Amino acid sequence: MAQNTQTQMENQSSNGDFYRLETLLQNLPGMAYRCLNLKHWPMDFVSDGCFDLCGYQRHEIESQQVLWGDFTHPEDVDFVDRTVHAAADKGEPFEVEYRIIAKNGQEKWVWERGRVVDYRDDGIAILEGFINDITDRKLAESALIRAEAYAQAIVESAVDAVITVDDQGSIESFNQAASAMFGYRADEVRGLHCRRLLAPEYFREFDRFFQRRRDPAAIAVQSIELGGSDKHGREFPIVLSMREVRDVDEKKFVLLIRDLTEQRRAEKEVREQRDVLAHVDRLNTLGEMAAGIAHEINQPLTAISMYAQSSIRFLNKSEPQLNRLQDALQKLSQQAHRAGAVIERMQEMTRPHQSHQEVIDANRMLREIHQLGEVEAQIRNFIIVLRLDDNLPAVLCDAIQVQQVILNLLRNGMESMRADGCSPGSKIVLQAQVDNGRLRISIIDSGQGISRKLAKQLYQPFMSTKESGMGLGLSISRSIIAAHGGQLEFMNNKVAGTTFHFSLEVSS
Amino acid sequence: MSADQRVYVIDDDEAVRDSMGMLLESADIDYSCFASADEFLDDHDETRRGCLVLDIRMPGMTGLELQKSLGATGSTLPIIFLTGHGDVPMAVEAMRQGAFDFLRKPVNENNFIERIQLALDQESGDWRQKTDREQLCERVASLTGREREVFKMVAEGIANKVIASELGISERTVEVHRAQVMKKLGARTLAQLVRIHIESE
Repeated sequence: MAQNTQTQMENQSSNGDFYRLETLLQNLPGMAYRCLNLKHWPMDFVSDGCFDLCGYQRHEIESQQVLWGDFTHPEDVDFVDRTVHAAADKGEPFEVEYRIIAKNGQEKWVWERGRVVDYRDDGIAILEGFINDITDRKLAESALIRAEAYAQAIVESAVDAVITVDDQGSIESFNQAASAMFGYRADEVRGLHCRRLLAPEYFREFDRFFQRRRDPAAIAVQSIELGGSDKHGREFPIVLSMREVRDVDEKKFVLLIRDLTEQRRAEKEVREQRDVLAHVDRLNTLGEMAAGIAHEINQPLTAISMYAQSSIRFLNKSEPQLNRLQDALQKLSQQAHRAGAVIERMQEMTRPHQSHQEVIDANRMLREIHQLGEVEAQIRNFIIVLRLDDNLPAVLCDAIQVQQVILNLLRNGMESMRADGCSPGSKIVLQAQVDNGRLRISIIDSGQGISRKLAKQLYQPFMSTKESGMGLGLSISRSIIAAHGGQLEFMNNKVAGTTFHFSLEVSS
Repeated sequence: MSADQRVYVIDDDEAVRDSMGMLLESADIDYSCFASADEFLDDHDETRRGCLVLDIRMPGMTGLELQKSLGATGSTLPIIFLTGHGDVPMAVEAMRQGAFDFLRKPVNENNFIERIQLALDQESGDWRQKTDREQLCERVASLTGREREVFKMVAEGIANKVIASELGISERTVEVHRAQVMKKLGARTLAQLVRIHIESE
């Protein structure tokens, strides 16, 4: 049979064209061939590229000592066979990719294209074609496929909803987390506008945000908090960020959505706990200040009582002194208001309080707490020096809680000064100044200073150097300041004592 | 109340000070107000008459410290302390140091005025006594050396005869000196002479 083929081929290419073609083929990568469409494809012509491709010499193949099917990967041989036969039966060209095992045992990917060019007398098809090494391309491809699968797995296992949309905002893909979050199956929402996932009152805000997709620099860093809405209309807080998918023909965007419900709940819990602790601390503080507060209220009461008695005496005189009476009553009324203000300030401080930040006149807030601190200072016979700039800006804060922090720090400072044996009339400074666009508030005492050992455990709850102290003050204070985006810090002064300071956001 | 007596009110709280002044005014009692112990001491002298109303708790020099400081200068001005809640230990200390009285804030005004009157009366008596003693001392000082020797021995109950022999003078001379002493000191009886001797020491 091999003999027959040989004869036929020689007949067909008995002109000089064949040799020219062969020269041409020598310079091509890959291998041209002619074979019979029989099992293992016996070849009667291969080009010189065969050696590079499979490691066998041309004559080894053309003499059919080795057959092409012998090198074909055993797992692929049936599939190649089916493909070639099917094409041959229809008289169509075929194209197939499969693996071969070269003479040195190396596995290679090849691409083959061929077609039936003639039939032998016995009806066996003669095939001609070209086989090329595509191992490099295949390796790159499979790396890509692995990477894609990896990325896909990440997307699917992500806790955040990952949704891709087209340039119009229509949903293209929807991961499992998105399904869990919004209650839709991926196939239900594909093609719908992604606004479907939002509560209607957030549409406009989202549209404005989505507009910014034209500016990649802007969207790369931005995220937005919105209200999500699931299939059943349940609304929940979300944070959404957007990125453009690069290197694809059409514009596509990935939306990352995180459900903030849990986070919000946890935040709320922390806030509530802090409020409760802060309240306990305020009650405790004011309890410790009871003597001073009683004094503070007793003063106006004493004055009221004396003005009242004076009034009676002015009236009871043989010639009533009405002009003095008016003076007395006016002053009496002032003192009643003074006592009322003290009580009101106490009530403010002792009332359970849900923290909320608002725009506050810094000077007023500091003067108020200075007055309250004075109560403590008088009892201890120290002086609080208030150093304010005339035009301090308004700040954004929870005034009650910030005042609580300042009061705590003033009391601590005075306690330290007492323990250090500071003489009566010693000063503690409450100072406020604008620093780097924030309002910096400092409490500067002249007490013992803070030892390295104490510094380490300073903010621990229930740690106190005071006998009656609960040890909550500083840890609460720090957490209050942290909730204001600041940091409560201290440093020992050069001469004596300690400076505690923190900063508040200036309201624009 | 004598015409040159007045009440010195010392309290750091302006309203308390002012209202107390008004109350004293309504009771026709003269007064002066001071915001601190230092302010009071600045133009203090021993001729001041009357009494002090002193807040026990003040910044700077406290009420107790002012009391001590006045005591050291021999002042006899009665002091009424005003105390607040929880100041009892300080009030006790003030009484121990010889305070006239202490009153809790807010004070009962009638009681307050009454106490002020008593303090002024006491100061009046003290002053009279003090003045008498001063006059007495002046009179004793006017005695000659020999007269003073005779005065002292007579007041101690030593007989004229013994005095004469002790001083090496005649009994008659002793009698002349004794009559001169009685005259100069304004004493009519021996008993009066003895009392003057005791008071003058």
